[in-house]
Amino acid sequence: MDRLGILVAGELDRLKKYNLFTALTVVLLMWLAIAWLLDAEELKLFVPLILLMDSTMMTIVLVGATLFYEKKEHTLNSILVSPVREAEYLISKIIVGIINSLITLVALWAMVYFLKDISFNFLLVAGAIIVIAAFHTLIGIWFSYYAKNFSSLLVNFMIYVLVLAMPSVLAVLDIIGPKAARFLIVLPPEASLILLQAGFQEEKLWKIIFSFVYLVALSLAIYKFVVRPKLNEYAMRETGV
Amino acid sequence: MFKVKDLKFRYPKSDVCAVNGVDFEITDGEIFGFLGPSGAGKTTTQRLLIKLLKGYEGEVLYQGKPLTEYGDDFYQDIGVSFEMPISFSKLTALENLEFFKRLYKNTVDVEPLLKRVGLWEDRHKKAGEYSKGMKIRLNFVRALINKPKILFLDEPTNGIDPVNAQIMKDMIREFRDEGGTVFLTSHIMSDVDELCDRVAFIVNGKLQEEDTPRNLKLKYGKRIVKVEYRENGDLVTKEFSMEAIKEPEFHELLRTKDIETIHSGETTLQDIFIKVTGVALHG
Ligand SMILES: Nc1ncnc2c1ncn2[C@@H]1O[C@H](COP(=O)(O)OP(=O)(O)O)[C@@H](O)[C@H]1O
Ligand SMILES: [Mg+2]
Repeated sequence: MDRLGILVAGELDRLKKYNLFTALTVVLLMWLAIAWLLDAEELKLFVPLILLMDSTMMTIVLVGATLFYEKKEHTLNSILVSPVREAEYLISKIIVGIINSLITLVALWAMVYFLKDISFNFLLVAGAIIVIAAFHTLIGIWFSYYAKNFSSLLVNFMIYVLVLAMPSVLAVLDIIGPKAARFLIVLPPEASLILLQAGFQEEKLWKIIFSFVYLVALSLAIYKFVVRPKLNEYAMRETGV
Repeated sequence: MFKVKDLKFRYPKSDVCAVNGVDFEITDGEIFGFLGPSGAGKTTTQRLLIKLLKGYEGEVLYQGKPLTEYGDDFYQDIGVSFEMPISFSKLTALENLEFFKRLYKNTVDVEPLLKRVGLWEDRHKKAGEYSKGMKIRLNFVRALINKPKILFLDEPTNGIDPVNAQIMKDMIREFRDEGGTVFLTSHIMSDVDELCDRVAFIVNGKLQEEDTPRNLKLKYGKRIVKVEYRENGDLVTKEFSMEAIKEPEFHELLRTKDIETIHSGETTLQDIFIKVTGVALHG
């Protein structure tokens, strides 16, 4: 197995051993229970929202938790003095984030397809999930670099949601007019939602392409300018944990 | 193996240099030690040599080539034992080692190593349930897992009981005897005295002396006789060199005072450290 595969397998093994899979499973069961309670019309609206929460919030919290443990137990140092490249280490985190979001997607898809007789554009949504989970893994790593501990990571996440998702909520409530609402696509949560909803309803092609390219470009920029160059400094920083 | 010239490093947000212009060389097949009190810059120097800290001033050459030109394959040759316990707490000791083993090209069988350091029986225990000393021994095995050419040991015996410390010291010597090179740091004089082929004293980020423990003792040491006696109720201590005990003053003392103790002794590396640097190793 090449090193990236070894790192991903190691991450998944530790998610299990550190009981993070249990937490993920509980959340997944909750999503399924919510979906079970909704009827077909509501599901078209809510499944994209559930997928959005799972691939953004859960992804950030999950990568934050693994980094928190690795920092606390200093195992990050031990990985950094092995032949593992920093890029391999970071990409393994991204892959694990994507895997977990895809598990939710498959479970939710199976549930609504077989039990509620609803289908959606699975490939489009899966593509969206991959980009959204990758982007938010990077956001989670970035937040962890600047968080003093796990709870301050959660605070950073709250601020992210409030600042970047609030305008979309205001638009839905018609507090922001439709003209201004068109520009909300530059907010990553809004771009993410547009991509997910596109699997369930008609959406303008330019919006889909823009959101996709935009999230990929932002991911690359965050990786290149923050996440990759600051990893070493993060590992060496003295923390109170 | 390593050649270090005028190495300086300042941590971001700190206004003093943790390592402030050090020069030294680690030659193939030796155990080279940094002896210094806590906060002297030992760990920082080690982190610089293993490329964990970047952005230093000065020059570090590894096998004749600047350290900055090496990629991550540099680590195939390097074994590092950190001063703090490092392990995935929810994985067993064996699972920890198996994970790290998969990251290297050349690896060793961990069974004899674990047996040697007394962890084989507890190999299926979670690392988080290990005592501090057991975790440090696990660190040491982790450092050896890739058949390194050079070992970096930061305070290797710190927190370990004397029996296991002795085993570890034997293993370090054997590693050297089989051709390995060792860089170790310690604030414990006896470690350095027993293990190191050469030692450098470090205080406040600067090196003060560098030689074999034996040469340092020859240079700074003296053989003395120390006499403690009572005078008007007070305890008085007097030291005499081996030459001076032939003189009348010494005999006069023995004849007239209430002697409590007489000891002969050699200067320890610890005394020499204090003499050279003006700083105590502990406290
Ligand atoms: N991550 C860090 N950030 C800022 N200062 C540090 C950091 N680590 C160590 N220092 C400071 O650098 C100096 C040298 O520390 P260190 O190399 O750990 O010493 P030693 O290992 O000899 O005890 C000390 O003054 C210490 O406070
Ligand atoms: Mg130290």
